[in-house]
Amino acid sequence: MKKYKILVVDDESLIRTMLCDYLEVAYTVSSAENGMDALALCTRERFDLVISDINMPGMKGPKLLHEIKKQYPETKIMLITAYNVDDYIRVAKEYGITNIIPKTVPFNYDELGVVIDGLLTENIFGIERYLLADQRIERTYCIKSSEEAKTVRENVTQLIAAKFGSSGDVKLIMDEMITNAIYHAPTNENGIKKYEEYMPVQLEPSEYVYVSYGFDSEKYGIAVIDNQGRLKKETVLYKIDRHLRGEGMLDDSGRGIHMSRLFADRLIINIHPHAKTEVIFMNYFLNKYSGYKPLCINEI
Amino acid sequence: MISFASIPWILFGIVAFVVLLCILAYQNLKLRHRTAQLSEELTREETEEEQLALKIWLSKKQLETTFDALSDRICVIDTDFTILRVNKAYADEVGRRIRTILGKKCHLVFFNRKSACDNCPALETHSMIQAVKERPFSKSADGEERSFTISAYPVCDEKGTVVNIIEHIRDVTEEKRMNEQLIRSEKLAGIGILTAGIAHEINNPLSGIAGTAENMLSMHDKYGLNDKGRERITTILECSQRASAIMRDLLRLSQKQEVVRQQADIKSLLHKAAAHLQPIGLDGFAIEFHVEEDLPRMRCDPSKIEQALVNVVKNAAQAIADQRKKTRREKIDYSGVLCLAARRVENEMIIEVVDNGVGIPPEAESQIFDPFYTTRPPGKGTGLGLSICYRIIEEHQGQISVVTRKGVTTATIVLPISKDPLTDIGARITTRGGGDEKV
Repeated sequence: MKKYKILVVDDESLIRTMLCDYLEVAYTVSSAENGMDALALCTRERFDLVISDINMPGMKGPKLLHEIKKQYPETKIMLITAYNVDDYIRVAKEYGITNIIPKTVPFNYDELGVVIDGLLTENIFGIERYLLADQRIERTYCIKSSEEAKTVRENVTQLIAAKFGSSGDVKLIMDEMITNAIYHAPTNENGIKKYEEYMPVQLEPSEYVYVSYGFDSEKYGIAVIDNQGRLKKETVLYKIDRHLRGEGMLDDSGRGIHMSRLFADRLIINIHPHAKTEVIFMNYFLNKYSGYKPLCINEI
Repeated sequence: MISFASIPWILFGIVAFVVLLCILAYQNLKLRHRTAQLSEELTREETEEEQLALKIWLSKKQLETTFDALSDRICVIDTDFTILRVNKAYADEVGRRIRTILGKKCHLVFFNRKSACDNCPALETHSMIQAVKERPFSKSADGEERSFTISAYPVCDEKGTVVNIIEHIRDVTEEKRMNEQLIRSEKLAGIGILTAGIAHEINNPLSGIAGTAENMLSMHDKYGLNDKGRERITTILECSQRASAIMRDLLRLSQKQEVVRQQADIKSLLHKAAAHLQPIGLDGFAIEFHVEEDLPRMRCDPSKIEQALVNVVKNAAQAIADQRKKTRREKIDYSGVLCLAARRVENEMIIEVVDNGVGIPPEAESQIFDPFYTTRPPGKGTGLGLSICYRIIEEHQGQISVVTRKGVTTATIVLPISKDPLTDIGARITTRGGGDEKV
């Protein structure tokens, strides 16, 4: 099997060597300590993925990745940062970068690994990818009506409360996510929304919403999937950015995504245009990883 | 018979008599008039006196009312500390009727002291013959420490000798508390600016240290690491995590904080907070809930309030655990009780977390909200928990206080119950503690 080639760019040598040490196990890894060196390396060999720190002396990460994407459209890109990811949503939107991983303490290698694998293999769907090896998928539901949605929401919330003591804001987030999947995703041929929010709805045979719930030794996660694939990554970035700047307060839509991201430890959005949208949110049992929340939007 | 010669004499006599009568009558009239005049004058004088008296009475009444209307306590004493007059506020303060106070010594009435207070302002006023202003005093009443300032003003006689002293006593407890709050807020803001500047710079190498240590542990053969090496690396990892936890808490103090308001049920937040205790080994004592029936849901940031409650509840549970250890050592019977209460008083939600644990020494009461104030050994808590609570409650326009009285520690959180529709879901209040740097 072909070994993917990854370039790591960070001005902090300890971070570079640490990432290289970890990635070398599965990939061919090179590293550079600044943007210019990275661009020079790219002219010599083709990388499948470039991982760059955001804040470096000289050329900043987003600019570098933008440049690389322009010259080598096939190369996948992602950012890492010790700073608050939310401060860079703007930049991400501008440069079309949808994966920003925070440098946490301890470093969350599992998270990094999943994102890298997703970018390289374009295999992004399925909550089991995001849980550790000791995972258990407890339930999978297929929702066909707004009535069923309510039951599933209650069920999952109860299961989580019974198992982990507190269900946090699970109910609220599920409410937002399932509402999106049922009411906002399905449209008719003219792109007009088919169902009106808050009204009882029976989905058509061709439409479905799946909900899966599972956990591993450090977190639990819930995935909400619809087969419409209408959500665009640009929309997500736009909405999150607006809300972070406090401008989206009175918007009808998009609040759900922002709030879910705020309340859940992790929010992952996977999109296959016109085919599938998967929203996964996860909560860690303990504050194991101290640091910021990542930005994780994948589109294939 | 009467001789003709005597007739003129008789006539003269009659005329003279008549004239005399007339004169008398005139004099009488004049006298009467004068008397009337005099009596009139007298009456007039009397009315003036009355009016003057009325004026004096009114002015006295005005002064008395003013005196009593003042919320500051005022007391007039002689040079021997004997109380001559007090206003209503003074009497209310000492909880006695005015007439039972008069004639008593001021130090006895106000401070329950047998002799004059040290640094008594009245004493100084007496000797210096000039006003002495705002001298700080404190006293504890009903287990509550109160602060006062006392000013003394001399009243002199015509020779310039001090005869009376007016004492003006102000309750500055609240003022002092507000001042302390302000200082605390400023302190937190200062720390915020400092932290925002350095936190990220520290986070970066810290995640490098932790990440490298993790690699060395998971791939120890690759690094040629033996058991002893792994042990040390584990310590390095733990230390980096500790450092990171402090940075995280500090950042929480400094970051622009968003308050995402939504309807929340305080009762369930209290239960959630209590549920945090058992998993971290803080159990083995009774937990009581006293939550008022029909408590309204209130608008707040539930995750933040939960975080604040967890901090307070954890502290209380830790105090019980410490007390248990102490009593066990001293072989005294002890059973810990943690009580979580919530009730509504008008437009405020009052949440109380009460414990019978080790308690806070009085001298530490003013410090407990200070960042890094901790009684725990290193590695067991960052000393930022209550600072974070303070910040959260402040963001909600509420108040938090913790006091120990008679072995019972009560943490009180007061939150305003807002009915403002603008504070609906998604509405946010953004406060900035420090800079937010952007590329």
